[in-house]
Amino acid sequence: MRRILGIALAVLLIGGVAAVVVGGLKPDTTATKTVRGVIGSEKSDFFRDPDVIKALADKGYTVKTETSGSWAMNRLALKEFDFAFPSSSEPAQEMEASAGLKGAQTARPFFSPLVVLARPGAAKVLADNGLAKMTGKNSGTLLMGPYLKAAAEDRTWQQLQGSGPYPELTGTVFIKTTDPATSNSGALFLAATSNVANNQSVVADDAGIERTAPLMRKLISVQGALEPSTDDPFRAFVSGSGEPLILVYEAQVASLLLQKQGGAEIDSMVVLYPDTTVNSPHTFVPISDKAKDLGPLLTSDPKLRALAVRHGFRPQEGVAEFTAATAPHAAYLNPGLTGIRQVGAPTVKILMALAARAKGEKHQGEPV
Amino acid sequence: MIRRALWSVLALATLAAATACTSQDPGTPPGKSGPPVYRPGTLRVLASSELADMEPVLKSAKAATGVTVEFTWSGTLDAAEQVASDKADGRFDAIWLSSDDYLRLRPEAAGKLSSETPVMSSPVAIGVKPQAVARLGWKPDEVTWSAVHEAVAAGKLTYGMTDPVRSNSGFSALVSVASGLSGAQAALTEADVATARPKLKEFFAGQKLTSGSSGWLATAYARRGDVDAVVNYESVLLSMNSTAKEPLTVIRPRDGVVTAHYPLTLLASAPVGARDAGRALTEYLRGADAQKAITEKTFRRPVTPGVAPAAGLGEDKRRELPFPGSRAVADGLLASYENELRRPSRTVYVLDTSGSMEDENRIGRLKSALTDLTGTGSSGPGRRFRDREEVTLLPFGDKVKKVLTHVVEPGDPGPALDAIRKDVDALEPEGGTAVYGSLKAAYQHLGKGNADAFTSIVLMTDGQSGDKVQDFDSFYAGLPDGQKHTPVFAVLFGDSDRRELTHISELTGGRLFDATGGSGSLDGAFEEIRGYQ
Repeated sequence: MRRILGIALAVLLIGGVAAVVVGGLKPDTTATKTVRGVIGSEKSDFFRDPDVIKALADKGYTVKTETSGSWAMNRLALKEFDFAFPSSSEPAQEMEASAGLKGAQTARPFFSPLVVLARPGAAKVLADNGLAKMTGKNSGTLLMGPYLKAAAEDRTWQQLQGSGPYPELTGTVFIKTTDPATSNSGALFLAATSNVANNQSVVADDAGIERTAPLMRKLISVQGALEPSTDDPFRAFVSGSGEPLILVYEAQVASLLLQKQGGAEIDSMVVLYPDTTVNSPHTFVPISDKAKDLGPLLTSDPKLRALAVRHGFRPQEGVAEFTAATAPHAAYLNPGLTGIRQVGAPTVKILMALAARAKGEKHQGEPV
Repeated sequence: MIRRALWSVLALATLAAATACTSQDPGTPPGKSGPPVYRPGTLRVLASSELADMEPVLKSAKAATGVTVEFTWSGTLDAAEQVASDKADGRFDAIWLSSDDYLRLRPEAAGKLSSETPVMSSPVAIGVKPQAVARLGWKPDEVTWSAVHEAVAAGKLTYGMTDPVRSNSGFSALVSVASGLSGAQAALTEADVATARPKLKEFFAGQKLTSGSSGWLATAYARRGDVDAVVNYESVLLSMNSTAKEPLTVIRPRDGVVTAHYPLTLLASAPVGARDAGRALTEYLRGADAQKAITEKTFRRPVTPGVAPAAGLGEDKRRELPFPGSRAVADGLLASYENELRRPSRTVYVLDTSGSMEDENRIGRLKSALTDLTGTGSSGPGRRFRDREEVTLLPFGDKVKKVLTHVVEPGDPGPALDAIRKDVDALEPEGGTAVYGSLKAAYQHLGKGNADAFTSIVLMTDGQSGDKVQDFDSFYAGLPDGQKHTPVFAVLFGDSDRRELTHISELTGGRLFDATGGSGSLDGAFEEIRGYQ
């Protein structure tokens, strides 16, 4: 009996210590209000940055975030969050509808174009074979017409001239994307590629879907399992994976450059801007009243805008800010998006139909 | 009654005292105890067992964040099943597997995951004894999966690998080899798998060791001295090397690898407090200090810019082989491995059916656990005895009561599975507990018949042996080498003697499984052992 009591006391004691430690280290300062948000993963470093945390605290906010694919956010229990911050405006509209937020005051603090990250060897082989054009030592343009033609023909790296010296350059040439049905970058990749495949016009009807779906299927099926977010392939690239071409946000690259974190990885990185792209702003959707002023704050506060640039984002109406900040890294970036054709995205309905077809499903989530 | 009260208190104490994680050394058998109850400041994590090596890093994480991690080990496919079927809801706050790729092939999993954060990476590689590398004339940087296949097919190389159905390293190896041997240029298709079938069969003829987990494979490999190579995570191979007398040459095949990225993934069903704890932990783990500690202590590759990989991690690039993009391809590949490609299994169940098995309906629980292993008509990969498997039931009391053997016919598994179910149903508790004599009979049975098979013995007893251990020890010592490789997987159950069973598992190179954790624990132990058979 005494023994049992002893053990029970020990349990209480340990439990007590744990509670104190947790309570002690995670204070909710009384001066700020805590708002919880679900965000695209590429913004999580921004919200983790101590300077961002401080700037937000100065304005009265403690922001706690969880990440999700932007197009999968409305499958979460959105009522648990005060705001959602998907990576483009399209899923934001969906969320407003599904969470009953009609008329919510959304804000569009910043955007970031999609780029293809390559190692120098892969970039050189693409350029030598007319699929890309180098514009600097570490930057270039991906020529979508020739690239998609090669993809349609199942071109392999071995078939491209000059790939021999690079052991990792074997197999079908493809760009590693995220899952277009759940993640914004994958969806916008289909938006851009379907535009090219649809004779340079936005897919707007069933005929357009039929015309482009086989190529979309090809671009996605060669990849096998799809990534849930750009964070995964980007981190894999940083950790030295041999993936030749990955689709990421320019912000991820720019952030690495601006914060000089990259070391050796920076030298072995080439940024290819697709010559056709869909730019869509990261869109802040307030869910509860607590967060309704946070979006405008992120958009207009000079300090937070500067911090967004530090994390590689382009603030609204902020080309000058972005260009100035990234001037030392001109070898990698294209601040003016020179030579890039910006096209519109199809409607959400059509884009999701394309994503389903690309994944080999008849309708969303339903295998053929 | 009193005993039960004491047990529950002890169980609680064990849980509360577990600091960073429960390590999986032979002293803490797997299979015990259900998942912990949620308490603030703790994160209940369903995880890949090789993460036991994260203990020092998680200790620092606890000091920095106040978050305690409570691991429950699970294979990747089993974890996917738990998440997809809602069984993880409310029992776990997060999953931390070597890869979520298989899980994402299940459409039901969408909406159940949030904040999926890759923490570190390690490719599946092959560690080869230096003498074998020399004998084969290999230049490590130039070895391909095809070269490995050629060496195996020519009888010049044997290896160990985990069971792809239970362990992600085995699954990744299967995908790599199937890609390499089919000549697939993109994600595997069913046609690629069909093309590669003859070569895959030759390749798996060289697999001499199997295991349900990456960690135990390393232990088993070290014990056997006659296997040339082991397929495992680069991190596990390098960790083995750091303590081995004779380090293995770690080869990342030149034609491509499958890499584990260890995404720490919160479950959407977790309480808000747990998700906060998970976020704090993730942030800590992605910080430069933790990343440096991870790569130096575990030989995994860091994912945070600016942190250099530990010495010994090769820097030249490898093609990343795509993981299958559909469940049909993934499950088809696993089913082929189970039922066709791998060497068959010969499995003996040494079953205590002494009089005490009548207590607390132990015999009923045994029957139910065994019946579960016969699966149903639509069983997925790994959910029933395999095609070509020879299953022997050896019930004992004062002596061996019967030796009942059935072979599962490829293409027509029904009759053998029915017959096993019938034999199980007829088990009767009666008599004493002659453990050692019955084990001898099991070895004698396996000594006859096909020698080119994975042989193993499962020992389930609810009491102390009535016969002598010395007799068994000398019997085992006198076995031919080939037979000594047959491990005994002992299951703690009822009032069985932990010391006795530990001795038997250690002597034979087996492993101890704990089924004393209440209802369902015997089913769980038997199911887990399947990975080792």
